[in-house]
Amino acid sequence: MALRGIDPAKQSMMDALDLAILVEEEAQERYLEFALQMEQHRTFEAARFFRQMVENEAKHGRELAERRVQRFGAAPRTVTRAMLFDVEAPDYDAARAFMTPRQAMEAALACEVKAQVFFDGALPMLKDGEVHALFEELRDEEIQHQALVRAELDKLGPDSGLSDEDFVDEPAAQ
Amino acid sequence: MSLSGISEYQPKDYKSDLKPIWCPGCGDYSVVQGIYRALAAIGRPPHEIAFISGIGCSSRIPGYTTAYGFNTVHGRALPIAQGIKLANPDLLVLAAGGDGDGFSIGGGHIAHLIRRNMDITYIVMDNQIYGLTKGQLSPTSPKGRNTCTSRLGSLEEPVNPLLYVLAYGAGFVAQAAPTDLAGMAAVIEEAIRYPGFAFVNIQSPCVTYGEEAQQVKHLKTIAESLESIGHNPADRLAAMDLAQDYGNKLHLGVFYRNPEPPPTYGDLVKERQILMAKDAVPRERILDLFIKH
Repeated sequence: MALRGIDPAKQSMMDALDLAILVEEEAQERYLEFALQMEQHRTFEAARFFRQMVENEAKHGRELAERRVQRFGAAPRTVTRAMLFDVEAPDYDAARAFMTPRQAMEAALACEVKAQVFFDGALPMLKDGEVHALFEELRDEEIQHQALVRAELDKLGPDSGLSDEDFVDEPAAQ
Repeated sequence: MSLSGISEYQPKDYKSDLKPIWCPGCGDYSVVQGIYRALAAIGRPPHEIAFISGIGCSSRIPGYTTAYGFNTVHGRALPIAQGIKLANPDLLVLAAGGDGDGFSIGGGHIAHLIRRNMDITYIVMDNQIYGLTKGQLSPTSPKGRNTCTSRLGSLEEPVNPLLYVLAYGAGFVAQAAPTDLAGMAAVIEEAIRYPGFAFVNIQSPCVTYGEEAQQVKHLKTIAESLESIGHNPADRLAAMDLAQDYGNKLHLGVFYRNPEPPPTYGDLVKERQILMAKDAVPRERILDLFIKH
């Protein structure tokens, strides 16, 4: 369940913008967690990519936050982080030990697709024309982001052919 | 808490400088985030919190939390947490560990904290395997599970942690998973607010030694919110009925919350101390009782 306590049909433009900001914030935090996990396990190439994703999500979040301030100033937010989960952020177990850059990018690509599906799926429920237009815009941006990640994927050389299994120790019987 | 009733603390205020060394993708990363969020919602300053754990991957969690912490010995988180709570009744005491720590070597302690209604929140990160020691059968491993200590499949039925604590009479029993972090934080917060022993079982997948059926992707397919099916958390028998689905369905939320919580052990001890103080010999005369004149 991506949303809790939010009725998309009744969403105001301010709530919709706040929701979009929080979606970016959540994704940004999760990518940062992943980057730290990778750094802790000396998987630096994947870490670098996840840090790049942190920057991308932060940039998008800042743009949305500026729009929110221009339009609604400091009006108190009614949408909270407790109302959404994993709209664009990768699943906790999408990270893996010794991820290759390709695996990291594929995890991010899956998230961009997931976010597109979320915004697309909400569209038929939206009654406010302005909110509808915002969600269309957000969906289209996710499609653009997919293209950017795919372009990064295309730049990669072939994988080593090693899998997770090659790095797992044999279980030790007691 | 501020005067407006809004917590002055943010989840990041409970995050320690120590970086987790769990395997990337481990479910425990989500649990620690859920705990930070719950503590921020409660709003108690870190120096008023004690976090006690046993031994295992998940028992590292006090180190990653800004609060008093004690990574104790295997299976003994609860007795130590109990001692800390009795000596420092004003502390908010959390205990945490894995399914092996809680339901194997430490299994005998749970019943006694429950019957005393110790005001402690016990969070079990249930991954159905001994992950830290490289994948041995644990008390919640499913029957037939193939591990390095059960090469032909486990012959044993797993312990059902939910039924276990419900049967002993726990006043608050809930389940959460990394499939819903917001829900997990809400459940932990509610557990902490419950006046007495509160148990939260968290399905926390082991990405290294766990099977596909225990990973987030699969958990999503069997997850079901107890609220969405209209479960009444005041109904203990209904909770026990639903708890029997452990291992097949993943019910998320509060199974049981005693609508009339009994006094906590700490409250009873305080009352007894007041009662005994009435006829108590003054401290400076205690020695006289043992001296023959």
